Amino acid sequence: MKAMELVRLALSRLGSSRLRAALTMLGVIIGVASVVSLVAVGQGATSGITKQLQGLGTNLLTVNPGATTTGFTRGAAGSASTLTIADAQAIGGLDGVAAVEPETSTSQFVVAGTQNTTTTIVGTTGAYTTVRNFNVWQGSTLNGAAVDATLNEAVLGATTADDLGLGASSIGSTIKIGGLPFRVVGILQAKGSTGPTSQDDQILVPYTTVEDHFVPGKTVRSIGISVASAGQIDTVKGEITTLLETRHGIAAGGTNDFTIADQSQLLTTVSSVSDLLTVLLAGIASISLLVGGIGIMNIMLVSVRERTREIGIRKAIGARGRDILAQFLVEALVLSLLGGLIGIAIGVGASYLIGQLAGWGFVFNPITPLVAVLFSLLVGIVFGVWPARQAARLDPIVALRYE
Amino acid sequence: MSTPLIELQNVSRIYDLGHIQVAALQGVDLDVQEGEFLAIVGPSGSGKSTLMNIVGCLDRPTAGTYTLNGTPVAELDDDGLARLRSRTIGFVFQNYNLLPRTSALENVATPLLYQGVSRKDRLARAGAALERLGLGDRVNHVPTELSGGQQQRVAIARALVTEPALLLADEPTGNLDSSSGADVITLLHELNAAGRTIVMITHDVDVARVASRQVHVRDGRLIA
Repeated sequence: MKAMELVRLALSRLGSSRLRAALTMLGVIIGVASVVSLVAVGQGATSGITKQLQGLGTNLLTVNPGATTTGFTRGAAGSASTLTIADAQAIGGLDGVAAVEPETSTSQFVVAGTQNTTTTIVGTTGAYTTVRNFNVWQGSTLNGAAVDATLNEAVLGATTADDLGLGASSIGSTIKIGGLPFRVVGILQAKGSTGPTSQDDQILVPYTTVEDHFVPGKTVRSIGISVASAGQIDTVKGEITTLLETRHGIAAGGTNDFTIADQSQLLTTVSSVSDLLTVLLAGIASISLLVGGIGIMNIMLVSVRERTREIGIRKAIGARGRDILAQFLVEALVLSLLGGLIGIAIGVGASYLIGQLAGWGFVFNPITPLVAVLFSLLVGIVFGVWPARQAARLDPIVALRYE
Repeated sequence: MSTPLIELQNVSRIYDLGHIQVAALQGVDLDVQEGEFLAIVGPSGSGKSTLMNIVGCLDRPTAGTYTLNGTPVAELDDDGLARLRSRTIGFVFQNYNLLPRTSALENVATPLLYQGVSRKDRLARAGAALERLGLGDRVNHVPTELSGGQQQRVAIARALVTEPALLLADEPTGNLDSSSGADVITLLHELNAAGRTIVMITHDVDVARVASRQVHVRDGRLIA
């Protein structure tokens, strides 16, 4: 018998008992919808986190001072003050380094007109915005001349500007940082927070100015480096290590007084965790698909029992065992496939909604629905074959007499 | 004399119930020529249903040989039996055995489905068969919307739509009132007059009288 004929037969049969067909399909619908939407949620979360991490800076390496060791007591990482402006400048000369910026910091009381706040003052250069992936909303970033001339210029984070009641018209106005007058040259675009400390609540000033007025000395809190391309990250990391070891007089294999943090490591860890989460979610959802499949098998077995006489009639008028097998199998397949398609529609709709609500947007991966449909077909075959074989094996004489 | 359409030689059917063996048919010899109208008459439990199952290729004899239309039935597997039924035999049952929730037209067209006839041809031929039996205005009715006599005529149309060599009727009037039953008997008689070979199983001697020949079954044996 042709596939078309079988599908027609199955559809007319399912059409004659719609409620039962719908309830049977519901299991598969829920299963497929949950697989599709949970995988999409997992992937959406992954891409959302990845985007946020990338927002911290593209191909970013951060060099931090190592720990101090006083006697036998090792202090916290970053407690040493071994990194200097000169180190940063030397790193700037390496191959594959696109931009480098030193960072010193201090916390100061800031006043603008009648508003005030206490915030982090970052002493850095104009490269800060490049390396840390900030966009300038108004005005400009710090320029080289201001750094060289130790000018009292400030670039405000979006939150800080807000707190101080400063806007687009405030470029050129004067604020007081730690009691000293600074000219506002720029305001950064908001980036959103990652964790408890907001990257938007800070003020950038030339590191020379910080050194002069707030934190004397040539040491820096950290050095941010933007590597020219992702492929060079490992090479550049090696170069920096060698360079700093030489500069700090550390023998190869000795304990380094600095650490280099790599954004890509963090990214790999985070995405492997969220991939695991996605697989876990899909696995849980697959269980509901399995339950849906068992529902199909249950209904098909009942159906074979109910239609014993019909099977007998069909056999008497010329149906072979394989015709009956095909009829029941196609019926199970149509149920699972229809359920699968409806499930995909619901799943895609749900993942769109969740994506909008969670704010990571709509991540649509065509592989998921494809796999879901194949899986629901598989469910149809696996759970349809047994009832169909039962039907095909019925003895026509017994079946015809069945009441 | 030409080769008979049906040729049973020393056919036995023994049911093995484990602890006991029951012989439903014992040493039956029966020939049916093309164009004959044979009535197989016997009370219930006589073995006539077993005989009809064997003649209808729904069952195989445990001993003896059966040749239908030149094909030795004992050698066929289940698919072979199905094919032989599909091409050679049209069944009419006591309780009509129409497919439930299925229109008269689709019911009559179903045997052609298993012959691989295209849907268009199936419906055309089924429509014509229903028309011939005076059911042209009932094609879209489902069995529950038809009277017993009409259902049996749909069943006869379904049996005839494949133009089978043999029409096998099992108590075709058993569930009908006397007037509908008489109609069906008249119809079978007409079909036979037009050349169709018919084997009818019945317990009713009055019904059997329309046949051109009668054989009687008792205790699994044919008696003259």
